[in-house]
Amino acid sequence: MSTSTDYHSHLKWQRFWLHALVIVLVLLVMFPFVWLLIMSFKTIDDIFAWPPKWLFVPTLENYTGLWEGDFPKSFANSLIVSVGSTAIAILLGVPGAYALSRMDMGKSNQLSILILASRMAPPIAFTIPYFLAYRYIGLLDSRLGLIIIYLTFNLSLVVWLMRSFFDATPRALEEAAWIDGASLWQSFVKIILPLSGPGLAATAILCFLYSWNDFFFALILTRTEATTAPVAIVNFMNYEGWAWGKIAAGGAMVMLPVLVFSFLVRRFLIQGMTAGAIKG
Amino acid sequence: MQRSGELTAERATGHTAPAAGLARRFEEQRRRFYSNLLLPALVALMVVTLLPTIYLVVVSLTPLDLARPETHWDFSRPFAQYENVLNDSRLHNSLWVQAKLSFWSVLLQVVLGFVFALLLNVSSKVLMALRTVFLIPMVLPPIVVAIIWKVLYTPDISPFHWATEALGFVVPSLITDPNWALTAIIIADVWEWFPFVMLMVLASLQMMPSEYIEAAKVDGASVLQLTFYVTLPYLKGVLLVAALFRLVDSIKAFPLIYILTDGGPGTVTEVTNFYSFIQAFNFSYLGFSSAITVVLVVITIFLSWLIIRMVGWGQRVD
Repeated sequence: MSTSTDYHSHLKWQRFWLHALVIVLVLLVMFPFVWLLIMSFKTIDDIFAWPPKWLFVPTLENYTGLWEGDFPKSFANSLIVSVGSTAIAILLGVPGAYALSRMDMGKSNQLSILILASRMAPPIAFTIPYFLAYRYIGLLDSRLGLIIIYLTFNLSLVVWLMRSFFDATPRALEEAAWIDGASLWQSFVKIILPLSGPGLAATAILCFLYSWNDFFFALILTRTEATTAPVAIVNFMNYEGWAWGKIAAGGAMVMLPVLVFSFLVRRFLIQGMTAGAIKG
Repeated sequence: MQRSGELTAERATGHTAPAAGLARRFEEQRRRFYSNLLLPALVALMVVTLLPTIYLVVVSLTPLDLARPETHWDFSRPFAQYENVLNDSRLHNSLWVQAKLSFWSVLLQVVLGFVFALLLNVSSKVLMALRTVFLIPMVLPPIVVAIIWKVLYTPDISPFHWATEALGFVVPSLITDPNWALTAIIIADVWEWFPFVMLMVLASLQMMPSEYIEAAKVDGASVLQLTFYVTLPYLKGVLLVAALFRLVDSIKAFPLIYILTDGGPGTVTEVTNFYSFIQAFNFSYLGFSSAITVVLVVITIFLSWLIIRMVGWGQRVD
């Protein structure tokens, strides 16, 4: 009897130490991220204070400074481009994914290497041809240009993810609808699509996140008019020295929607990142 | 799939003689419907990905230099750029830098991801909630990750430099020190991506049959033995796939290098992808850059093919 209580208290201690260890590790891992957030609320003097200030009077001046400059325009560009590209990818990709899921296609596996390769190729592989083509047809520094190049990853993501969602919806539902006289199109739009709502939402959010997070394409394909928020932040590093306060505040603004959306789709994150190789 | 469709049509028409014809017609109709749905997506995918890739290969066969318009469509020496690829020592250096960066960051990510997954794989509400926190580095926009580490590596404003100074060490500015710059990039990259390995391992651990562990416990295995002889072999596949994914991704490393070191000091942190970017968009040698990029794409496709071979054409990891 006593050995059993010993064993249990031993287990309890083990759990305690494990929790303590994990919490310390979490704090350690999160520190760099939290530090940037804190920095965004500091005045420039507090940022350069030595030793670093832990207690300080928070200020919103970095954020208001951002609001008065060109940053809102870049933020809007980011929104327009990300939403636009996501919408087009969904419109084109979802019907395709449904067809792939229902077709009797032994060879559809070859598609998966095309999808995986297009998602894994270094962005510069697309940037060079797009840059040359856009230069020729005048799409450089345009939001439309970014919307199109973001399709390179969004389209294949939609096809892959939605296909696995459609695979999971029972075919018996459509078959029952056909018997009741529904057309093929009706059974897709009125029965299957509404059932795939959550999957569709998750896919759209992932597309939005990938577009929103892009830095490389926007860096090369935009100059002044269509700059997205990530590029705008980097511009704070070049002009008038390093505006650390604005850089931190801009970074916080850019990551805010990302954190919210990622939390919503956390179950699908890995699926999205490994799209093309691993089905959910 | 096809069969079940016919079955329905037969059922719908009640197995009469003309039913076979009807079923065939319905089948035909269905196939056409699916092709119509698939076509726009397929065409769009070809136009946005395949055409540019072909164009990239075409450009790599010319000495295209934006400053010299006559180099457009000049196919007089189609393989000249590939000869340059073989002879350019700065490019070879970049491949070596890439190899070092990829090796260390992938290795550390796999080790850390594995260890963190084991620590978190305990049924506990607190630990479940903390898992979500570990998502943060991975989902942050890469540019924000780069800024976070730029702050930590800039001695004037870095709490890290302050802490080491308070402890009596003088640490050089890591990103401007040739001996440390690459390590600094690796640290930031590991921070950003070890959660990816961790999540994949955790997902796999949840599907691990508990009998494995029970049986080992009955045999009196210690925690270490359990980890090495039961858990690790079980996770071999996932770890390999996660490592390959990270390996392919590490070839794309850009924002961290662009923001933290700009390839420097000298060419210490200049990876191939970054070198190709400099050739194309700083020197405007798009022909040469395309040839480098084609080589990178071939490597990427080979690694992707390897992943698919291992996972088995889009199956679950286990």
